[in-house]
Amino acid sequence: MDVQSNNFIGLAEIAIEQGTIPQAVSQGTRMANGRRMVAMSAGTEHGEAMRQQAAYAKRYALQHLADLLEEAEERLTENGFTVLWAETAEEARQHVLAIAQRHHITRVAKSKSMVTEEIALNDALIEAQIEVVETDLGEYLLQINNEAPSHIVIPVIHKSKDEVRALMQDKMGMPYIEDASEMVAFARQRMRKTFLEAEMGITGGNFVIAETGSLCLATNEGNGRMVTTLPRVQVSLIGIEKIVATVEDYATLAQVLPRSGTGQNLTVYTNILNGLSVDGGAEHQYLIFVDNGRSRIYADSRYTEALACLRCGACLNTCPVYRSTGGHAYGWVYGGPIGAVVSPLLKGLDQTTPLPNASSLCGSCKQVCPVDIDIPRMLLDLRHDIITQHHGEFLISASMKVWEQVNRSPQLFELGGKMAQLGLQMGADEWVPNPLGDWKAYRDFPGFAPQSFRAQWRKHHKENKHEQQ
Amino acid sequence: MNSSKANILARLRQHPAPFAHLPAPQTRRVMHPLDDSTDLVGLFCAQAQKLSAQVSLPASPAQAIELILQLIGEDRSVLAWDFPHIPLHGLEDALQQAHIERAPDRSDGVRVGISGVDAALASTGSIVVSAREGRSRAVSLLPALHIAVLTTGQILPHLDAWLAHQQTDLAGFRAVGNHIIITGASRTADIGMELVLGAHGPAQLQMVILP
Repeated sequence: MDVQSNNFIGLAEIAIEQGTIPQAVSQGTRMANGRRMVAMSAGTEHGEAMRQQAAYAKRYALQHLADLLEEAEERLTENGFTVLWAETAEEARQHVLAIAQRHHITRVAKSKSMVTEEIALNDALIEAQIEVVETDLGEYLLQINNEAPSHIVIPVIHKSKDEVRALMQDKMGMPYIEDASEMVAFARQRMRKTFLEAEMGITGGNFVIAETGSLCLATNEGNGRMVTTLPRVQVSLIGIEKIVATVEDYATLAQVLPRSGTGQNLTVYTNILNGLSVDGGAEHQYLIFVDNGRSRIYADSRYTEALACLRCGACLNTCPVYRSTGGHAYGWVYGGPIGAVVSPLLKGLDQTTPLPNASSLCGSCKQVCPVDIDIPRMLLDLRHDIITQHHGEFLISASMKVWEQVNRSPQLFELGGKMAQLGLQMGADEWVPNPLGDWKAYRDFPGFAPQSFRAQWRKHHKENKHEQQ
Repeated sequence: MNSSKANILARLRQHPAPFAHLPAPQTRRVMHPLDDSTDLVGLFCAQAQKLSAQVSLPASPAQAIELILQLIGEDRSVLAWDFPHIPLHGLEDALQQAHIERAPDRSDGVRVGISGVDAALASTGSIVVSAREGRSRAVSLLPALHIAVLTTGQILPHLDAWLAHQQTDLAGFRAVGNHIIITGASRTADIGMELVLGAHGPAQLQMVILP
């Protein structure tokens, strides 16, 4: 997927003008956010303590990341997984293609995975003449419509029921069906064949438990189970930051994740895979640890905590910007507040310059985050990087320099105030080119007080002195 | 060691470990604390029903078998675990007498799957199904109706309790290829955020709880 994040404003305007997107997204996110609050006991002492327990578990794992990755590899290998490492997206794709070639794979069933979106795995498989089918219902609908997901957890949140029906009629040959459950039944029947015929299943992963070498998935539909049960080869791609140290830490995180994401106490299928077994699972299991920029994020202490993210989507659901624009406006795989942090860190600020500003800094994202990631602080740091690394517009950088000089000198400051006041009185805001851009398009610049604070202060001081005499 | 692994680990170890002053929580909490006096069976049933699972508490094994035969109805084959793993003595004979066969593992198009459970979790209405020989994971996955037979003694307070028990025998935990904690029937909300049961897994989950 090409990075289109530099066109955030344009994409956001298109989404907002369409009307149906903000309506569907706003409705879906509000619903999920309300459920989260109940499930997480938000605002209670216990809820906050659980949040901090989860935050600790993830930070502990990051603190010991290299050691835990080595421990996980050892345990996973003992369990029967073949563990591979990928520094880049290209290396990860090559690993998957090599596995496919080794096992003579022509058909792949895939369950929902953000990291495979990140590395554009489907494109590579299709190019290699391998049929790949997304099996999460939402992802499947998007795949057949050649669209990208717009939410980390609810990929098709931007479409209303009517739009989904029209899509299924158009692309799946479904007759008109009013009822959502019958629409799902139609898709279920159609997709069952995919699971039964697939030779390889591809998944992401929510956690890897280092002490036991367990791969953990949280799914609701059952496609994740199908994909890890029926095909003879299973490949799971997982970011290196998804490690947790112990079963005890997993117990906390496995419950915090669904409560924050969808407001469920547990997802329908909380799936723990411990490698090869005798009961009819896959014959070959591969796990690929994907770096693809994560170790670079890890090295900058300002941004390390971004790697604690569980990908629950709670920050998207609460964000006033995301609710208005939907996920596609962010121009790459990860949208919403965490996307505005992670996308610049993974793809570079030159390709994603507007994203750190796609936030009102209201702080809601930090408040709802189940692992207490300080997203607003990181957005500010990224804004700082935009200026210091000269990714910003020249005009902004230059005017900040002027602002700095003026504010350093009391004389210049006072002179500037007087000139601005005079200019405003003469109607300069109408005929001078508007330096405030869109801000001014919707607002009138407020008039200045007849006397500046400094002038009033001097007057007050003088009068006081006079009275004392 | 392959070079990608070495490079990744070297980069992670290049700087001092992050979060140098990480204060550990003083006491560990469980997500859903319960009093000792909690009626686990009652809570389990209530929570499972909230998630649209059906729950029945037959008074005797004979009643349980009758219920299962009713649920199978006219079907002549079912997917099932090996019968010694299902805590309902007499089920195998009853199915035979009713000319209901056990379909080969992973058969698609079989409507009913019958399994036991490894544990049940009261606070979330969940069942834990651990795959072992004779306990195929397809039974709780492929059919439209999953019947889970359990005993009241298998009901634990919550996931934390089950995982804490696993921690006492990590080798045993790891020896099982797949632990599934099932909480309600398969579902999706991908169509206009409307909740629909039966996405890919069973649309119906029937718990049969024996004393």
